[in-house]
This record gives sequence, C-alpha cells and structure tokens, in this order.
Amino acid sequence: MSFLKNRTLRIGATALAALLAGGALASCSTGETAATGTPAENVVFALKEDPGCMDPQQVTLTTALNVSRQLTDSLLDQDPATGELKPWLATKWEPNADLTKFTFTLRDGVTFSDGTAMTADVAKANLDALFALGAKASLASQLLAGYTGTDVADASSFTVNFSAPNAQFLQGSSTTTLGMLSLATTAATAEARCQTVVGSGPFVLDSYTKNDSVEISKRAGYNWGSELREHTGEALTAHVSFPIILENSVRTGGLASGEFDVIQDLPYADESRFTAGEYHLYAAANPGIPNSLVANTSAGVLADTNVRQAIMMGLDRNEINTLAGSASGKAPTSALTSTTSGYVSQADAMKFNADGAKAKLESAGWAMGSDGFYAKDGQKLTVTVTAFYAQDVLEAAQMQLKKIGVDLQLKMVTAGDFFGAVAKKDYEFLGAALTRTDPDVLRVALSAKSKAAWAVVADRELEELLAAQASTADTAKRQEIVAKIQKRTIDQAYVIPTLETVQLHASSAKVTGIEFDSASRVNLFDMAANK
Amino acid sequence: MESAGASLANRARSALIFVAPKVLQFVFVIWATYTLTFLLIHFLPGDPVLAALSLKGGDATTTDPAALEKLRAQYGLDGSLFEQYFRHLGGVLSGDLGVSISTGQQVSTMIARVIPHSASIAVLALVMGIALAVLVTYLAFITRSTWVRQTLLQIPPLGVAIPAFLTGLVLIGVFSFGLGWFPSSGTRSPLSVWLPSITLALPVGAIFFQVFSAAVFEAAGGAYVFTAVAKGLSPRAIFTRHVLRNSMLASITILGLQIGYLAGGTAVVETVFSRDGIGRMTVNAVLARDVNVITGVVIVVAVVYSLVNLVVDVLYGLIDPRTRPSLGRAKGSSPKSPTTTSTPAAADSLVASDDASAERTSA
Repeated sequence: MSFLKNRTLRIGATALAALLAGGALASCSTGETAATGTPAENVVFALKEDPGCMDPQQVTLTTALNVSRQLTDSLLDQDPATGELKPWLATKWEPNADLTKFTFTLRDGVTFSDGTAMTADVAKANLDALFALGAKASLASQLLAGYTGTDVADASSFTVNFSAPNAQFLQGSSTTTLGMLSLATTAATAEARCQTVVGSGPFVLDSYTKNDSVEISKRAGYNWGSELREHTGEALTAHVSFPIILENSVRTGGLASGEFDVIQDLPYADESRFTAGEYHLYAAANPGIPNSLVANTSAGVLADTNVRQAIMMGLDRNEINTLAGSASGKAPTSALTSTTSGYVSQADAMKFNADGAKAKLESAGWAMGSDGFYAKDGQKLTVTVTAFYAQDVLEAAQMQLKKIGVDLQLKMVTAGDFFGAVAKKDYEFLGAALTRTDPDVLRVALSAKSKAAWAVVADRELEELLAAQASTADTAKRQEIVAKIQKRTIDQAYVIPTLETVQLHASSAKVTGIEFDSASRVNLFDMAANK
Repeated sequence: MESAGASLANRARSALIFVAPKVLQFVFVIWATYTLTFLLIHFLPGDPVLAALSLKGGDATTTDPAALEKLRAQYGLDGSLFEQYFRHLGGVLSGDLGVSISTGQQVSTMIARVIPHSASIAVLALVMGIALAVLVTYLAFITRSTWVRQTLLQIPPLGVAIPAFLTGLVLIGVFSFGLGWFPSSGTRSPLSVWLPSITLALPVGAIFFQVFSAAVFEAAGGAYVFTAVAKGLSPRAIFTRHVLRNSMLASITILGLQIGYLAGGTAVVETVFSRDGIGRMTVNAVLARDVNVITGVVIVVAVVYSLVNLVVDVLYGLIDPRTRPSLGRAKGSSPKSPTTTSTPAAADSLVASDDASAERTSA
C-alpha cells in the first residue's frame, strides 16, 4: 500500500516477525535445570491422575491408595518380603479353626487426628459402616464377604464374625482398604467421606482439591508405626504435596527440572533416562493375578483345552516384557505374580514353545489354512479378548499368536463396558490383571460361586481346592493347596499370564525411604528429603 | 412532529419485533441441544452405573445385578426413556441438574467449581488472541513492503496448524522447566493462567485473524478509503476510523463462534496443563457415561453459546443500521434519522463500502 509510509511501524512489523520466528526456534531447546529451592520438610510427589476420593475404604485406584495409605493405619501390617503379618493397631490376633471368627486386641494410646481414641467400638463401627456401603466400597465388601457382625468384648478387644470361612480377611485387615477411620467419619455419607477422612495415620489431610492437588502434613505425636517401619515416632517429612499431573512428559520433565521430588508412574519407556545416580527408581510388581488372558471356557474355541494350552505355549513372555513391560520387571511365571504371598513358580509349564503349540493344535485336528491361521470344520481359529487397558501387551500377544496360527482379535472397551461384559459373561478372553494381596484372589477370579468371577470354568477339582484354601487356617497346609491351585490353573490354561505390571515410581536422589507395602502401594512414613 | 410517547412506543414495538424471535430461538436451541444430548447418551451402548462404579472400583467393580439395580434407582436411571427424560427435564427446569453418578456430588456444585478456572483462561486467551490478531493485521496494513506484509499474513495460520497439545508441552518445557517463570500445572498459583491462555490464544487468535484481516483488506479496497487517502488522513486514522468499523461485522460473527468454542473446547489444554476445568470435566463425564454431568455441562455451554449469539445479533443492529430495517420502516424515516447511533462519518463510510458486510449479514 503505497500510501503507508510510517517507517517506525514498518520496522516494528519486521521486529515482530523476527520475534515470532525466534520464539519458534527458542522452543526447540528445552532449558537446563533450574531447581527452585523448597524447604527440606516439603516433598512434592506428582500423581498421575486425580485420586477421585480420599476414603481408603471406598477406593481401589492405586493413585488413591497411595495417598490414603498415609492417612490411615490398619489393624495389621504385612511384610512384603515374607508375607508375614505383623502387629500394627492390633497387638494380638487370633482366628478360629475354620476362619469364621477373628479376635483382635488393640494397642493402647492410639488416637485419631480429631483426638478421639481408637477403641473396639470404633473398629466395629468401621466394619459395620463398610459392610453397609456395599457396592460403593466394592473391594472392601469382597474382603468382608459373609460378614455377620462384630462382638465387642471390652474397650480394646473384639471379634469379627463371618457366616462362612473368610481366608482373605486377616491379610485384608493389613490393607489400606480396611484402614481404620474415626467414629465421626464412619457415620458420614459415602460422598462426604470421599472429600475428607479422619484417620490415625502418620499424616493428616490438609486439603483435597479435585483435579488439582492433595496436601498432607505429618501428625504431631504419632508414635504407633508398625515394626516394619525403619524408625519410630513421627513421620520424617513435615509436609507432602501431591499435585495431579496427567501428562507423562510433564511429570518426567518436572522431575528432571526439580519441580517435583517424586513422580508416580514413570513411563516404562523413560526408565533408562532416570537410572543414573541422580535419581532413585522404585519398582514393585502388583500382587495378585498378573496381566492375563482369562478364559471363558463355556463356549467357542476356548472350550477346547488344547487351544488354551497352545496359546499358553505360544506366548513368549520375556519378549512381551521387553516390548511392553518395565526393565525392572520380570515375565510372569504363575497365575499369581512373584510378589504375591503363596506364589509358586510354574515356569516349566509356561515355557515358550511355538513348535509345540502348533503340534498341539494339529494333533487336536486343527489344520493350517492358506491365510496362515488354523481352522477346523471350516471355522477359523479366531478368539477375541475384551480389555480396557494394556493394549500394547495384547498387541504383543496378538503378534506372537499370529506366528502359531491363532488369530487373536482385540476388543478394547471402556472400563464400564468391560464390567458390563463380565456381568453378562459375554466374552471369550478377558485381558486384565486382578490386584489383591492374598492368594484367595484365585478363588475370587475363578470360582463359579464367586460373585466377581472373571474366568468361566467348570472344574470340580479346582472348585474343591479353591474352597479348601479359603477355609484352611493352618498356613503350611493352605500353602500346599494354593500351590496345587496355581498348578491346575496353569496346566489347564484357565489363566494365561502375559505380563507382571510393575508400579514404577522415580524420585530425585535426595529423597530416601519410600517403601512399598505388600499391595505395592507406597508408604511415606520413612521418607526423608535431604535438600 | 409526532408526540414523543407514540414514538417511544413505536420504537419499543420495533425493538420487540427485532428481539423476540431471537429470544424464542435462544430457548429452542437450548431445549433442542438438551434433548439431543439426552437421547445420544442413552443410545450409547453400555451401562452408566457400571461405568461410574468402575472408576472408583477398578478391578473390584461389582457386577451383582441387585446392587446395580439399587444404584440405578438411586440415580434416576430406572424406568423407560420417556420417564427418565421428563423426570430429568423437570429437575432441570426447577434448577436441579441432579447428582453425578461417579462422584456423588451435585452437578451444579461441580460446574460452579470449574467455571472460574475455565473462564479465566478463556477470557485471557480471547483478549490475547484478538490483540495479537489486530496488531498483526494493523502492522500488515500499514507496512509498505509487500514481503513484510506477506510474511505477517502467513504467520498466524501457524497458530491453527500447530496442535495445542504441542504448543502446551513446548511452553511448559521452556517457561516452567527451563526458565521457571510459570508453574507447569494446576490452578493453585495465580500465574498458572498464563501458559494455558497463551496456548489457547494462538488458535483462537489465528482463526480470528483470518476473518478479521480478510475483512480489513477488503474494506481497504473500498472507495471511501480512497477518498480518505485523498483527503490526506493518516494511515492510523484510516485504520481506526474507517476500516476497523467496516470489518467488524464479520469479526463479531467469528468471535461469537469462538466464545462458544472456548466455553467447552478447552479439554486438551486443561489436560496438558493438568488444570481443573469444564473441558476436562466433560471428557471425564463422557468416559464415565455420567449422564447428569454431561447434560448439565451441555446446558451450560448451550446457554453461553446462545447468549453470545443473541448478543451478536443485537450488536449487528447497533453496528450496522441496515440490519434493523423494521426500525426505519416503523417511523418511515430516512437512514439519517436521529435514532441512528452511529456518527455521520461512520454511517457514510458504511454506505460507501462495497457492501461486502451487508452480503455477509444477509447470508
């Protein structure tokens, strides 16, 4: 436009263009670390998602349990290494012979952060309220299956009664899920408890801002940590902030830059970046049933044991772990993960053998078709797996099974649709893991009598074993049965493990003392930051 | 001369004729949006109660039919589709948006919680986006060098071309982790609004720029600009007094659309910056099949959108006298009547313009 002659503005325009171009260049280089100094008593622990609810008894989300574990104590504690139960809020405990009655004696001097005392009445109120929550506290109601009530003998002792043997209750009483809350909290509605809870734990909830952050501070005067902790007295860190950071790269970037001290869920792909001396990695496999293909044997090709066994042999679990797992993890070697109490390796029965798998299918009458997949009576060997997470694991399995002529079709759905399929038993394989700390998880997933059964199996021998382990109090005898169950489950390929999911967290090297409990959730009581 | 009272009544009547259909349209749009959303959610496969439970229950989610039926009744999801629709509509009309299935909180409480977070970044993004678009257009308008103008005009499309996801991560990398000027996430610090706003301002500004600069350069070709140049007006005066006003109609239209977009379309930015906000709440609600939250959000967004459109429609009348024909006809007066709020100069330039804006209005 010829009539425009303002020189200054013309220069300004050029400068703006240069600035924009320069900005684009500058964005290509991420800056160097500029750690901002925060006081040593404050640790920033970045969570990967909104916990959704603060109530330890209602939630099952790992993220939520990682927070609420710090706020609550349980009756017992469990040594993650040996599976041995240890005293915590209860000093003594005694099951009856058929695991229908459990008597606890409480420790003296324990108080909740609202000042009220932990008594047998409070324990009863907790269990009663939990049982009443029903479906809203799904995991707790599974642990309390058959609960008929609690008898209070005196201020510090009580007996929990069940209508049928409950093998997982004692171990369950060491989990965050059965953590003890104050009398006032047990009386509140499920929704109110999600917002704030009062526990007896080493930390107290300061605030929970949904989709933003959780703030907790140490409880003054706390002195009842279990013997599994490294120190006695109060927690070592005065204050812990849990910002909720959804983006993986923002969490890792924040750890690298010093904005966060600890991050939850380091992506496996980033593991190698944070292995140097400046960082600590924390890895623990989830206890329970590993990521697996859980079979519905009532119909379709999976009714054929040979097909299931061929799939078991056709999966190279080490390769799956390399492709989709953590470098800190191991390939699964049983229907229970290696961190679950009662685990017995079935590695020999789960060896990768592609040729053996093909031979097994051929001997069962399957013939290789021109498309590279087996078929029988004109029916292609296709099987679907319904899942709502870990697609990469299933893709690795799909790729491997293709090599033995089995067509695995993935059906990725939402969590709600997954449980919809479970409710209607409308699936061939389910692709999922079931996280529990007790080997009773196998009964929950496999027994035809279980309300939450995933596998559809008609196997009288297995059913008897599952029932027997649930009512055997003697540890050694129960272990024998649990070993038999694992062998049977793997031999019959009801559960075809794919990957042990590892909880992988990372912190700067200045942070020490982060420990996992037996459920692979973090305990921050011993955590200290030396900044 | 007619009496002042009759003139006032006439004007009120013509204003009513102008506004009433638009208000009716406003109500209809909200009702239709609500109904459509309600139906769409209900025709999605899957069970909303299970979807909500699985969020909290994870692998322990119950599939016990009796327990599910009880919850279904509790959240108003029992009965036929018609019953559910009228029960819910009745609640909405009495101001009760219901309870979220997955969190158990009142939907109105949840929306009230997130709106300030979303509104702050949306308003800031809009202001920055418009300022940037006007600045770049102005610079391109007054520069004499063709290549500078061409360069300037080519930059803003980048704002649309680069996904907000990437911009957000780059901004976090540079300004949070690198320089440490702004927090990378959350809504805790007042400074936390800047990076998300800048991320949003780029596409918003770029789209606005496309329409605005096109209108400006079209207006600049008009005869009245030629006259203004001939009269010896400075480029700045031409831009602010003649060109700007004539390019406003199209710009306000696109602005209305963008406010509507910002009312609900901030999910990606909120995810990257881990901010609580209406976009993220909507995504979570859809994933959780949280019927009440989805309809609640849709109603709020539809109201914002329709309100903005209503304002835009009314603004047309204020900016461009030609779009309020009934007003002139009622009085039988010429466009030069004293009711016209615009200054004579601006009215002249509107008449002198090449009618591009009028075509756009009638389209």
